[in-house]
Amino acid sequence: MTTEEIINTKNEAIAQILKARSTSEVEELRIVYLGRNGKLTQLIKRLKELPSDKRKQVGILINEAKINLTGLLSSQKNRLSETVKQWFDPTIPGKKPKPGHLHLITQAISEISRTFEQIGFSRVRYPEVEWDWFAFGGLNMPKDHPARDEWETFFVEGPNHPKFGQMVLTPHTSSGQLREMQRVKTPPIRMINIAKCYRRQIDASHIPMFHQFEGLVIDKEISIVYLKGTLDFFAKNFFGDKRKTRLRPFHFQFTEPSFEVDITCGVCNGSGCKLCKGGWLELGGAGMVHPTVLKNGGLNPDIYSGFAFGWGVERTYMMKSGLSIPDIRLLYSSDLRFLKQF
Amino acid sequence: MNILIPDEWLRLFLKTSASQKQIADSLTLCGPSVEKMQNSVYSIEITTNRVDLASVLGIAREAHAILPQLGFKATLQPLKHSPLHLKSTVGYLKASVDPVLCLRFTAVLIKKVKIDPSPDWMKKRLQAVGVRPLNNVIDISNYIMHELGQPVHTFDYDKIKGAKMALRASKKGERLTTLDGKTHSLPGGDIVIEDGEGRLIDLAGIMGGENSAVDDKTKNVLLFIQTYDPASIRKTSMSLAHRTEAAELFEKGLDTELVILGIARGIELFSRLTNGTPEKEILDIYPKPFSEKLVSAQFELIEKRLGITITKGEIATILKALGFEPRWKGNNLEIKIPSYRERDISIPEDIVEEIARIHGYHKFPSKLMEGGLPTPPKNMPFTFEGKIKDLLCAWGGIEVYTLSLVGEDSVGNKQALKLKNPLGPESEYLRISLMPSLTSAVNQNKGNDDSFHLFEMANVYPPRGTISSPQLPEEKMVAAGIFYKTDFRKAKGIIEALLDKLNVPTEFFPDEKEGYSPSKYLVIKSGGKKVGEMGILENKNLIYWEFDLKLLKAQSLPTKKFMPIPKFPPQIEDITLVLPERTRVGEVLATIKKSDQLISNVALTDIFKNAFTFRIHYQDPTKTLTDAEITQIRKRILVKLQGAFGANLKS
Repeated sequence: MTTEEIINTKNEAIAQILKARSTSEVEELRIVYLGRNGKLTQLIKRLKELPSDKRKQVGILINEAKINLTGLLSSQKNRLSETVKQWFDPTIPGKKPKPGHLHLITQAISEISRTFEQIGFSRVRYPEVEWDWFAFGGLNMPKDHPARDEWETFFVEGPNHPKFGQMVLTPHTSSGQLREMQRVKTPPIRMINIAKCYRRQIDASHIPMFHQFEGLVIDKEISIVYLKGTLDFFAKNFFGDKRKTRLRPFHFQFTEPSFEVDITCGVCNGSGCKLCKGGWLELGGAGMVHPTVLKNGGLNPDIYSGFAFGWGVERTYMMKSGLSIPDIRLLYSSDLRFLKQF
Repeated sequence: MNILIPDEWLRLFLKTSASQKQIADSLTLCGPSVEKMQNSVYSIEITTNRVDLASVLGIAREAHAILPQLGFKATLQPLKHSPLHLKSTVGYLKASVDPVLCLRFTAVLIKKVKIDPSPDWMKKRLQAVGVRPLNNVIDISNYIMHELGQPVHTFDYDKIKGAKMALRASKKGERLTTLDGKTHSLPGGDIVIEDGEGRLIDLAGIMGGENSAVDDKTKNVLLFIQTYDPASIRKTSMSLAHRTEAAELFEKGLDTELVILGIARGIELFSRLTNGTPEKEILDIYPKPFSEKLVSAQFELIEKRLGITITKGEIATILKALGFEPRWKGNNLEIKIPSYRERDISIPEDIVEEIARIHGYHKFPSKLMEGGLPTPPKNMPFTFEGKIKDLLCAWGGIEVYTLSLVGEDSVGNKQALKLKNPLGPESEYLRISLMPSLTSAVNQNKGNDDSFHLFEMANVYPPRGTISSPQLPEEKMVAAGIFYKTDFRKAKGIIEALLDKLNVPTEFFPDEKEGYSPSKYLVIKSGGKKVGEMGILENKNLIYWEFDLKLLKAQSLPTKKFMPIPKFPPQIEDITLVLPERTRVGEVLATIKKSDQLISNVALTDIFKNAFTFRIHYQDPTKTLTDAEITQIRKRILVKLQGAFGANLKS
């Protein structure tokens, strides 16, 4: 009889006891190892065969094994007995706290401003009820200019401002351009202005109140290349790495050159599908700030140049998420069945 | 405005190997956007500055400049015509013309026309651009307008009394019946034509008069082509709400040189299709002929605005293709502008745009800005506002966005800004409170069994200023909310927790206010100033709250105060008091708190009938309080409460 024999027997027993799945199995194992003819009992019986000088040492070893197994048998039996193992059903559903919901527009605005803040833009806020000069005249759109037709403007009753004309609801966030130039006085400017805008229109894709975000960058040496860079940065960070933008020539009175900005369709990835025009979706307008507008904002166009863009928050966000909400008016209804989805 | 250009018509002027799709894509990338392509007809968006593109010829000219940049061959086939005899007076028509209203006035008499249907090729082209063919005379006018972008009018010559015309500004209230049978009372200052008997026979630039119109019996036609003052045309067309294709072209400022092409094309088509005999001499009153227009630009500015390197030769090639005549003098580029771009191109930036777009925006690199960062404006409220929204949302609030434009019932008798041109009575005012919007938001969800909390953050627009010194309204950012089927203590708890998290020390004062149920209204003050309010609305079991965010933010402490962690444990005990009816428990709590400075905290933990249980923490920073000391404090509290409220310890 060797010490290995004892240790092997013990280890074999421990392994089997831990594998046991019921109290009766444990009891069987007790008999196998510690019963009258049990394996360990057999070893004890053979102790006397050993020479007396080894007997004591091996005796201690066997005794330790016996204590060890007895303890393990009882704790395993205890663990498996039904009285200790209470019925518990972990498949029961959790109790959620009543969840609140931030409106889609709030989510869109915070994502948009975060994206531009990463490249040094600061968010500002300018009047939503403005004088004509800031919304039109100062933006190179004199009274009765045909370009004004694009903005179906609400006018407010009341006296005209002697210098700035009548009071209007801002039909676009571009009115903030002049306010920002007047505030900063000495560029650089990197502004993001997000506000409510109002236009006289109502149908499934238009509402009299909506939101726009306006970017304005003015510094020395600002060229078309930086406009492209900024819009690409926004497209990749807001819409995803695979999206590309393109500029199409367009016309706005307050920018020269002017563009419309398209982004590759997220559904077909630019190959063309039912939802887009040949792979492209229209994001909105942009352009290099017109020198007259810089002058009106108190800046010298010989020193400074810049670019601007103003896009609809609702539209941009719909294009990102592919939410395909059929009627934009739903956004401004207070129907909980709608609001609770986001 | 959108125009339709049939591919087959376009290719009369444009010889190119490019396919329809290649033409559409190239135009979109470097010129006007082709929005749709259907049955070989391009639908093209024309911006207000490019009225020169609003025709088959215009698009052909533009495509011929763009296509070679994208690797397609393209040549332009101009319209040829024999020399014309232009005279400032002619025998068949005496005309007097106001030179401010009419920049160029041409007319030619075509005798013995035979009114017939037009040939099929003309009918087909007109139908393709959405015009219904009628007869050869009318069709020729429409055909020229779509082909050249120049509106054309025809009179029945024999209906012009005395063969005399006077083009003048109308007087207010003059009446005129147009071709479509509508009678207009003129606003005054409109361009009209009067014949020899003083009859108004044309609402010039918008629509002809009924009394001088060509009909089946017409023998002699006066072909009539003009350039009008754009502002006058726009004013008349807008104020009469009479928008015609001709008006939309004239109001954008047409090329005075285009008139001659129109007359030549007209003479040719009338001779061929009506068998008419045109007079040799053409009336042409043109007091200020187009003279050369020059614009110059510095090479440095062009490169700076583009942000790319480009050669002088490349610049010149692009501009030539567009019909400009560029000449480099050192680093200064001098450009002769063609008449059809005269109104559009005036400053160097206009030249930059032409170069950039034909060069192709797709070839420009993308770069992020270098250089200094702007100093951000101080004290912007966005973080504060975002925090409020996040907290309310975390506690179950549901955010809504409601329309700022409201009806009279939402304004009541208070001052509010009114729109001059509202969409309807339900949206004719700018709101001054979020309360009506939120109550109606709740009403949209009536019948809901569960409780809910709606909130909104938006500007309200209380008016300011006076008649003599007008001012924009104050744009007051307000956060407001409404609780539906919610226990008052739960609702108030959310508001209290919000104020705690915003670090605004506040006090609530019971008061009365219109719109709220009697005695169920609280003013919320901080630093002695009202920052908000809450209460139960009248006639409805709704709890409403609102804050003026500017005031609230001003009271919000930027940092928390550090309180040393007590070294000794507090003594905590619950005492249950019987309070007489109509006792305000808020005042009881305040009294307990104030009764000894060793009371570090007091809270209401239970209410059973008229018995209120308060949990009081006694804390001495320097030692552990003994039972005897606490008994002393408790006695003092009870005496105070007995005196102030008649409260007794529950036995």
